[in-house]
Amino acid sequence: MEPGRKAAGGVETAARPAPLIVRFFQFFESLGVLTLLILVIIVASLIAGGFFTYTNITNTIIIASIAAVTGFGMTFAIATGGFDLSVGSVQALTAITAAALMQVTSMPLAILGALAVGICLGLINGVLVTRLRMPAFVATFGMMSVIRGVALLTTKGQSVMITGHREFAAINNGKLLDVPVPLLIVLVVFVLLYFLFRHTPFGRHVCAVGGNRRAAIASGINIDRTTLLVFSLVGLTAAISGVMLSAQLLIVDGTLGTGFELQTIAISVLGGTSLTGGSGNLAGTLIASLLLATISSALNILKVAAFYQYLYLGLLLVLALYLDTLRRDLIAKSILGRR
Amino acid sequence: MKTAQSEAIQRGKSTGTGEPGLGDLLLKYYIQALLVIAVVILSIINPNFRRPANYANILLQSSFAGIGAAGMTLLIIAGAFDLSVAGILGVSGITLAILSPASVAGAVIGTIMIGIALGLVNGFVVTRMKIPAFIATLGMMNVYLGVAFIATKGQVLGIGSGFLRGIGTDTLFGVVPIPFLTMIVVYVLCALFLGRTVYGRFIRAIGSSETASRTVGVPVNRIKTICFSIVGVCTAIAGILLAGELSSANAIMASGYELNAIAIVVVGGTSLKGGSGTLFGSFTGALFFAVINNALNIFGVGAYWQYVVSGLLLISAVGIEVIRSYVRGSD
Repeated sequence: MEPGRKAAGGVETAARPAPLIVRFFQFFESLGVLTLLILVIIVASLIAGGFFTYTNITNTIIIASIAAVTGFGMTFAIATGGFDLSVGSVQALTAITAAALMQVTSMPLAILGALAVGICLGLINGVLVTRLRMPAFVATFGMMSVIRGVALLTTKGQSVMITGHREFAAINNGKLLDVPVPLLIVLVVFVLLYFLFRHTPFGRHVCAVGGNRRAAIASGINIDRTTLLVFSLVGLTAAISGVMLSAQLLIVDGTLGTGFELQTIAISVLGGTSLTGGSGNLAGTLIASLLLATISSALNILKVAAFYQYLYLGLLLVLALYLDTLRRDLIAKSILGRR
Repeated sequence: MKTAQSEAIQRGKSTGTGEPGLGDLLLKYYIQALLVIAVVILSIINPNFRRPANYANILLQSSFAGIGAAGMTLLIIAGAFDLSVAGILGVSGITLAILSPASVAGAVIGTIMIGIALGLVNGFVVTRMKIPAFIATLGMMNVYLGVAFIATKGQVLGIGSGFLRGIGTDTLFGVVPIPFLTMIVVYVLCALFLGRTVYGRFIRAIGSSETASRTVGVPVNRIKTICFSIVGVCTAIAGILLAGELSSANAIMASGYELNAIAIVVVGGTSLKGGSGTLFGSFTGALFFAVINNALNIFGVGAYWQYVVSGLLLISAVGIEVIRSYVRGSD
């Protein structure tokens, strides 16, 4: 079963021209949980009346977009073999920064300020991991606590309203050619990061650092610089989602984004990025974020009580990955086992 | 085993001699030394800190997350981890609260059984359904929390039993709380399991290389499932003690427990990559976090500042260790 799986990932078949059907399934593989997303959408639209309304689909996409943007950054971090637990706190602090700057300056400057704060926080994480050689878990766990404290201190535990910038809300509810702006943001970020990941030396370095550290050092890759850049990237993506979240809520406080770290790691892993590092699947991350948002919006439309939502979300998560495992085994057996 | 040997060889090289000197001992027991120094300094400068009741409080506070961290250490050494412990703890506490009016002994045994069962479920999902531990246990946490919420309708359940309150709050000689004694027993048992049984060697082997272990015939799935159920038992024990101390139980009585338990293990020197680690380290890690939180309370640090200071202390404690080993390595 193990060699079959490897072949499905394209390791063995890369040596000789693969039959069309295998290449088709490889393409499907690379999209990870797409099959499940389609399945969930079909089931949801059958049993939940009102699922296929314009408003609901837009809302689902907005929720998915906010998680996906940070999920992309997290996918990079996981590909280097680490992760970042501080993204929820960074999201809160950058949302607060955007709201606070909006009171004293123009909107573009406030957004830039928030993004700069995100990059700086990511840099601090990166310095802790590369210069102080701390395990990513401890460094970002400590920073999660520090940044959360700073967010609560700067707001004194109060909420901050965003007033006087009506155009700011357009980041959340605006439309360009009938496409919601959050979806545009997430697609732009996706295209940029996909290019960075798949078509630049930096992207290859990221996978090399996570895949085989010794080999990466031996081949002259600057591991520290790559790691530092990746953590800054995670900070930046967390800041983008912080700005998007503040545009959605228009009232922010220091408790925003609690649990966001596990959510973003979950969508990366669900999308097919392995926590062992060395590879990443950005398209999978995007689809997984849509999957989670679709599940929770379907549960909301079905008016499932909050307590039961925990239960169903958990069971669906496990079931989703179980089906994914079964599908891979089936493909490996039926297509590649017949050599 | 191999990593320990090569580490020892490297240490020997860095000092230029084969004999372990005082510096090497300090490096090896860095977190323990730091804990002792912190406690001594805090005891000297603050009269409130050195009251016996406060020491008892620190030991009590360390034991709830500490007991869960014992099982988590074994699981992390085996190369996996469990994010569902907050859910297991909630379900355990609620089971105890529901069963205890009928029979206290039955409730305790039933709760431990529930802990084992939930651990086995996690093990099954990870090893048989082949779902990555991160997603599997995150999903199961939602399931357990959902069950706990549904069973309690989101309410807090009171526990009337004097015995259960006793095991949560009573102390031996006025300084050593029962939960801390329990924690010592749990750590000794886990350490014996890891160091003195063939299963313990299998655990390290799986953490070092799962593929190699499978090839040489180590029952990887069985060992991992055992580790998950040990985490379940440990968490259930912590749940019994915590519910006893609070005289109540509710679904979210342990939110954030998973990251705290893993942080204790990592601060104690166990690598998240698996294969190596010690229970003594995790034991110290649990005390270390309890001392930090206690000191912040004693000095009247505000709730929001506590987030900042405890995070900075964690970073600097681990950072100094890393700098030290770095400096020694480049001598």
